[in-house]
Amino acid sequence: MQTNNNNNNNNNNNNVFEVENLNLWYGKTQALKDVSVKIEGRKVTAIIGPSGCGKSTFLKVLNRLISLIPSVKISGSVQFHGKDIFSDGINLVNLRALVGMVFQKPNPFPKSIFDNVAFGPRIHGKKTKSELADLVENSLKKAALWEEVKDRLHEPGVSLSGGQQQRLCIARALANEPEVILMDEPTSALDPSATLKIEDLVRSLREQYHIIVVTHNMQQAGRVSDNTLFFLNGELIEADTTEKIFTNPKDKRTEDYITGRFG
Amino acid sequence: MNKKDRQQAIWFTVSGFFMLMTLAVLAAILYSIFKSGAAVISWEFLVDAPRRNMTAGGIMPALVGTFYVSSLTVLIAVPLGITSAIYLNEYARQGTIVRIIRLSIRNLSGVPSIVYGLFGLGLLAATFRLGTSLLTSALTLAIMSLPWVITASEEALKAVPASFREGGLALGATKWQTIRQLVLPNAVPGMATGSILALARAAGETAPIILTGAAFFLPNLPTALSDRFMALPYHLFILSTQHTQIERVRPLAYGTALVLVALVLLLNMAAIIWRYQMRKKQTW
Repeated sequence: MQTNNNNNNNNNNNNVFEVENLNLWYGKTQALKDVSVKIEGRKVTAIIGPSGCGKSTFLKVLNRLISLIPSVKISGSVQFHGKDIFSDGINLVNLRALVGMVFQKPNPFPKSIFDNVAFGPRIHGKKTKSELADLVENSLKKAALWEEVKDRLHEPGVSLSGGQQQRLCIARALANEPEVILMDEPTSALDPSATLKIEDLVRSLREQYHIIVVTHNMQQAGRVSDNTLFFLNGELIEADTTEKIFTNPKDKRTEDYITGRFG
Repeated sequence: MNKKDRQQAIWFTVSGFFMLMTLAVLAAILYSIFKSGAAVISWEFLVDAPRRNMTAGGIMPALVGTFYVSSLTVLIAVPLGITSAIYLNEYARQGTIVRIIRLSIRNLSGVPSIVYGLFGLGLLAATFRLGTSLLTSALTLAIMSLPWVITASEEALKAVPASFREGGLALGATKWQTIRQLVLPNAVPGMATGSILALARAAGETAPIILTGAAFFLPNLPTALSDRFMALPYHLFILSTQHTQIERVRPLAYGTALVLVALVLLLNMAAIIWRYQMRKKQTW
């Protein structure tokens, strides 16, 4: 992981997101303070920090879901493959098709398992039955859910268990064939065994996708991620490889958090 | 029994008693209408026109007129109300202006119906030259029903979890795709129930239609929007207060009331049953 003080020769590098001097306010409350970071591709990046540190806010900036909140004000720049996602030319539909998201609480739509996964491809214009069927099958396989649901694709998505629902939501994001998958505490509503399945899944997906996962579970960050960003009170305190963050943090606050002295 | 238990027992008893009183009033109304009206109810009463200066015959033209005017009301008010609710709840930037609009709508639902009648007469019948007609009455009732339809539809939209909207948008759906495919299908039961209840109220309203198009007596059924019409509530009003032989037509008045009440109860019941059925299917 490169922090902002490293060299700045972008474009033909491996960075998916380049964030510079990002400030974000909810009304008058500043939630992100001068965050600058580059997020590497083909890696799992974990974002850790105590509740209210801005980690989920940061994640929602990356697919601009944050723009749904009218009181939000933003300064600085966020580049996705060298393109500023806050510029006028950006197409949110395309951005969100490329930058998928999985939420904290599994949120399957009140539709069948098949229709949940097919939702994205359908709205992006894939119509033929065979095309959809292939995509749904592949996505469910990638999400390690196919074997469990292949015989009941037309049952409602909510009939699945919590862990299965979350994998369904991952499959739904994958069906859009995104480049990036954002995960906002994807296992915090799940039991331990479902959590392990999601973690295995995250590791298996890292070859094909850039994954950014917010977690308040540090063991999880250690288990699944290559790089880690540590946020505190809206500031990015430290960004480095997960190994360095966990074994040899540069900042005292990171060390305090890692060793469980607060949070 | 300690003090807390005693307090609880007292409050349960008191609230139960008042609940029973309310129920008793309702039962008394239904009983008296049924007792005095059931005798005249027959197939002929429903399909025959009033005869011999309204002292005999049935209520068919009033029944048909009420059906026409309420259906028209729904056809006008429901699309307008639902689209307004979608705009207010999904598109409009939530701020002072929307708050004022919403407050005005809530207040409009408290305006006495006679005022709507006067409005319909002054603006629609006179200024817009629609005359006193089926259309004018339906428009007036639609304007009166709009606040209820909008409010019910907004509640139905609010009840759809935000996670559906977020999930749809995060997949790259446009706002309209999200609304159309994820929000609306799940808001339909609430919207439909609200619309049926508004229909039931419109069917029973008297004041607005007296001023805007309901007729005392018509030999023929309305065949055009510009025709006047007979309606159950107005017919009831005439039979019970305006007739020259009030005592003699009282059973007919009660029969009319019974039909009107049954109609409204049926509509309400349909709404409740429908909502129940949809809730059973609803999985969130």
